[in-house]
Amino acid sequence: MSNPLLTFWAHRNRREEEERRARRARLLAAAASANRASATIFLILRRMRAPLIVLIVIFSISVLGLALIPGQDAEGRPWDMGFFDAIYVMSYTATTIGFGEIPYPFTYNQRMWLTISIYLTVVGWAYAIGSLLGLVQDRAFRSALALQRFTRKVARLSEPFVLIAGYGRAGELLGHSMDALGRRVVVLDRDAERIDELELESYHGDVPGLAADARDPGHLGVAGLDHPCCEAVVALTDDDEANLAVVMTTALLRPDLRVIARATTHVIAERMRVFGAPSVVNPFDLFGDHVRLALRAPASYQLLTWLESGPGAALPARGAPPRSGRWVICGYGRLGRELTADLRAEGIDVTVIDPSPHDDVDDVVVAGGYESGVLAAVGLEEAVGFVAGTDNDITNLSLVETARRTNPALFLAARQNRPSSAPLFAAMELDALLVPTEEVAHEVYAQLSTPLLWRFLREMPALGDAWAADLVDRLTDVCGQHLQALWKVRLNEREAPALMPWLASGQARLGDLLRNPEDRGEPLHAVPLLLLRRDDAALAPDPDCVLAPGDELLLAGWPAARRALEITLVVDAVREYVVSGRRVPSGWLWGTLSRPAPDADEERVGARSTR
Amino acid sequence: MNLEKVVFGFFVLLAATLNFGFFIGDIDDPVLHNRFELFAAVVVNLIATVLKFGDRTQIGAVHLATSLVADLQLISAALVFGYAVYVSTAGLTPGTMASIVSLSGGALLANLVSVVLLVVETVSFHRG
Repeated sequence: MSNPLLTFWAHRNRREEEERRARRARLLAAAASANRASATIFLILRRMRAPLIVLIVIFSISVLGLALIPGQDAEGRPWDMGFFDAIYVMSYTATTIGFGEIPYPFTYNQRMWLTISIYLTVVGWAYAIGSLLGLVQDRAFRSALALQRFTRKVARLSEPFVLIAGYGRAGELLGHSMDALGRRVVVLDRDAERIDELELESYHGDVPGLAADARDPGHLGVAGLDHPCCEAVVALTDDDEANLAVVMTTALLRPDLRVIARATTHVIAERMRVFGAPSVVNPFDLFGDHVRLALRAPASYQLLTWLESGPGAALPARGAPPRSGRWVICGYGRLGRELTADLRAEGIDVTVIDPSPHDDVDDVVVAGGYESGVLAAVGLEEAVGFVAGTDNDITNLSLVETARRTNPALFLAARQNRPSSAPLFAAMELDALLVPTEEVAHEVYAQLSTPLLWRFLREMPALGDAWAADLVDRLTDVCGQHLQALWKVRLNEREAPALMPWLASGQARLGDLLRNPEDRGEPLHAVPLLLLRRDDAALAPDPDCVLAPGDELLLAGWPAARRALEITLVVDAVREYVVSGRRVPSGWLWGTLSRPAPDADEERVGARSTR
Repeated sequence: MNLEKVVFGFFVLLAATLNFGFFIGDIDDPVLHNRFELFAAVVVNLIATVLKFGDRTQIGAVHLATSLVADLQLISAALVFGYAVYVSTAGLTPGTMASIVSLSGGALLANLVSVVLLVVETVSFHRG
């Protein structure tokens, strides 16, 4: 393998082989679930055999009898009822419509036969219709129908979508944020009730949902894993093992897709990272990092949580966690461990209270925390911060209340496990609240919404607290207390055709672009958050920054500003006015007329009439 | 012996034989083609079709297809018969009778294919 050419070929062959294997497996997975759906249909047909045959036999016997029995016409002459009349009479008799004795009044012979037939056919119809209705109610049949409807919906998607496996609280939050951005989602959850709730929720777009286990590759297949428009897979189930299965399936069947998975332990996170390069989101790890950021730079933390919360979010309050002093953490589980390590890394003293003894940490008090005197014994009066981090909401609430009574000046943080406890925690007015599902949803949203936002959030903490505070002030000046639209602009030939000559001049200042097309004296209600040029990112670029073709911009501001900017990017005349203040005609006729003799009045009329 | 197979074979064969019984004879002579036989052929063919529902194998699918063809042809023949007797002013002419019998002849071909399939299935099962 010393020959580089050989190495290259070997590498190529291996990649082709991998690609082929993935393609084959994809086909198999999708075929398996399609088969399962059609199998149920065959079962239904098979079960309808008996009722249908009974119906046919009863009907044909009655018709045959009626055709054979001699009758009379109106004058009493012998008359044989033909097959057509017999079928006609039996059809309206069997379906209980009953038009009477047609074409001539029946003889007693015929009436006797008809009496028997009526009872026979009613039984036949009741049996057939009963079986059919029973089948429609059948669970297997309904789920087969639901699967088919879901498969059709997913196959018809023609815009990029995100596949969310696990529609718990985190999935719901993420789905709504993505929906607010105008992106499509497809949902998979094991719980049929959660999928039924999809219909009641107020999504703008149609959200296809299937009640199925995400561990099954076939279900992921019909949910769009092999769909060319699938842009990312998010594994948010509450079961780490299932999330690992989703990561594994995606890595093997669609190695080119982005995967984001939730993991609550480091072991699972490591096992996930074996398969390709998934981004693993650990809510407890994340909370620890956020607490460190909040300790070091409260404004940066405030900006981070605001931007992560998605469009429409209110500005969170800027907390001021005490940097010096001792913290008390109740509960040494997954959250307690992360938090203790993070706080100690910041050089803060931590006392841990936990019902079971631990060897891997210093300064542990073995107690539940709610026993009388324990909180006083750990010196809560002198402590500055208190965290109630057990996995029981009732315990956390009572711990927080006890701690507040002991020392009203404490910085209080708690963990909320169930969404139903939210009003109680809100009433407590805590300084910091960890909701693991929300933490995960916000992080995944930041990663998926646009790569620029993710980049901004990662690089923003390095710029310091004062910078972040300044940016929060600018954002609140423009947007108010609620986050407005967050969008991305690419300054290239496709998205900004009107801008190209101006950008090429080398004089294109950002401040000139962000002006109101109606009145250029007014700035646009938008704040540029990030300017990306190839791989270099400039955070919150100032108005004097010079733009170049190919730049990407991330902006936050009013939706109206977004529309105004789009017009500036596309319409030449608007761009000319915004950038230089000159009104030029945009139509071909006025453009041709005004070019030889530029007359100011004429130009203004031209620009107006074409808008 | 499988009772389901007996019933299935019985109806497939009976459909073919009844169809044959109606078909045989001078093509335009109404005396040689009994309407009761046509009725029986239609009914037995419908039952045979329902019996073929829900078979997922390839041969089952072809079985169902042949039965549907036979149903279509026989029901068309019955409709033409009914039209000639009840609606048409000319009545049951030799020309109409010929078209009825030729329609049932088409159905007979489909039924024969069904019988061949049945035999092939049985033979290959024993060999396999």
